[in-house]
Amino acid sequence: MADLTVARRDTEAGPVLLVAGELDFVQAPVLRQHVAELALWRGACLTLDLSRLEQCDSAGLTVLLLARERARAAAADLVLAAPPPKLRRTLAITGLDAVFTLRPDEGSSGLRRDEGSSVA
Amino acid sequence: MCRTGDVDEPFESGSETGTDAAFTALLEDSAEELYEAAPCGYLSTLMDGTIAKINTTLLDWLGMERTSVVGRLRFPDLLTVGGKLYHETHYAPLLRMQGSLRGIALELKTADGGRLPVLVSSQVKFGSEGEPLLIRATVFDASDRRAYEKELLHRRQEAERARAEAEAARRQAEADRGRLADALAVLQQSLVPSSLPAIQGLESAVYYQAASPEQLGGDFYDLFPVDDKRWAFFLGDVCGKGPEAAALTSLTRYTLRAAAVHDPEPQVALRTLNAVLHERYADSGDPRFCTCLFGVVEPDPRTGRALVRLASGGHPSALALRTGGGAELLPTPGGMLIGVLPDARMRTAQTTLNRGDTLLLYTDGLTEARTGPDAGSMLGEDALLSFAAEHAPAAPRELIAALTGLLADATPGPTDDTALLALGVPFTDHAGTADG
Repeated sequence: MADLTVARRDTEAGPVLLVAGELDFVQAPVLRQHVAELALWRGACLTLDLSRLEQCDSAGLTVLLLARERARAAAADLVLAAPPPKLRRTLAITGLDAVFTLRPDEGSSGLRRDEGSSVA
Repeated sequence: MCRTGDVDEPFESGSETGTDAAFTALLEDSAEELYEAAPCGYLSTLMDGTIAKINTTLLDWLGMERTSVVGRLRFPDLLTVGGKLYHETHYAPLLRMQGSLRGIALELKTADGGRLPVLVSSQVKFGSEGEPLLIRATVFDASDRRAYEKELLHRRQEAERARAEAEAARRQAEADRGRLADALAVLQQSLVPSSLPAIQGLESAVYYQAASPEQLGGDFYDLFPVDDKRWAFFLGDVCGKGPEAAALTSLTRYTLRAAAVHDPEPQVALRTLNAVLHERYADSGDPRFCTCLFGVVEPDPRTGRALVRLASGGHPSALALRTGGGAELLPTPGGMLIGVLPDARMRTAQTTLNRGDTLLLYTDGLTEARTGPDAGSMLGEDALLSFAAEHAPAAPRELIAALTGLLADATPGPTDDTALLALGVPFTDHAGTADG
């Protein structure tokens, strides 16, 4: 099982979280904590770069929805960038593709893995 | 060899004798001294046990004077009461019979009232005519050995006590776990029905497997009447695990049952559930969701058809296995994960089951089960559809049995919980040939 890692990069538009590994019942709280600690402002755009997400179960979906709530509360936007095909299928089945803003590419200003802080 | 031997032998022989004597002189002053001061006790008795000779070592151990022992005491007089008894019943008869005894554990009484554990070996000396003359005995101080044995015994008792305590703790833990499992099983029974009702013109079968007995399942299903013609059924999966998920499952099940009786239109029932979950959890800081397929079936035993109306709340589509072979997905578009938005939109889809058709509802424990040679690939929806098509037509029980077999050979996926519900219109007697 791949541990979940979350790397943050702050851009002008807003924070970008690179979420890699398995977002499951055990590890979802890691992302939840990251999202809770984010600084967001009105009009900001929180981007979750999911290009390296290997697995996302229902607990993972819950955290994505929590991120959406967190952004809405701050009058900010949430973008899910580069969701892998399996997640896209899950989002379609659960009807969440109509709830989230999805973007096929990996998000703004090309976050690289070696940037930002990595937390297991 | 011979030649040199002739010359050397007398010299060498004399030299050896001299060396032996020197050693003897060095080691012991005399045989008498060896006897008296040996590192063990020596004792000679007449055949009746009267002590005829005893060495100084043994006298010292006993703390007695030679004059008060020799000719005055019998060997049994040196022993404790138990020893006397043992000597009379075992030691002496055995010695008379065998002529010798080795390493018998006895206790000697010392002059100061103490006890000295000893090991005694005895040998009868016989005369030239074979008549027994006297008994010679060696006595070894066994107090160290006895202490060692006592220590061993003590340690063994301690180890046994520790083992018994560990065993008791293990039994207690097992009993606790058993009670917890019983409590969880009772709770689990409130999440899914203990059995499905018998319905005329409709056959049903179910499979339910929670991730583990300790972990209440997050999957749920039900089948119940809503009026005298129609039956409602649902199957779903709550997000998360454990007691909170079980509480959500319970809320979901009873909300759907109540909603269905009020208005069995599938999309209405799911909208009601959505409103309840959203209202209950949205502002709690701990949002909770579920996916669910909800359906209403109206069997018509006269025509052998059953009308099915289905709505989905973010749940994978149901499958239909057709009586003529093949399987298809029953799309339920637009359904959203339940509990996310205050006003989720659902739409009702419709299909007809003919005789021999079977409808399958499943949770992702089935499609996420890992199959293949190294359990490396998930079963997936496409493979499930192919599997169903290969098995069509299949009655609900056959289909569930086939899928159970598939799961038995697979490694559980990350979700672990699996629920399967199959509903079908059975072949009746005039369609009996189709069974063969």
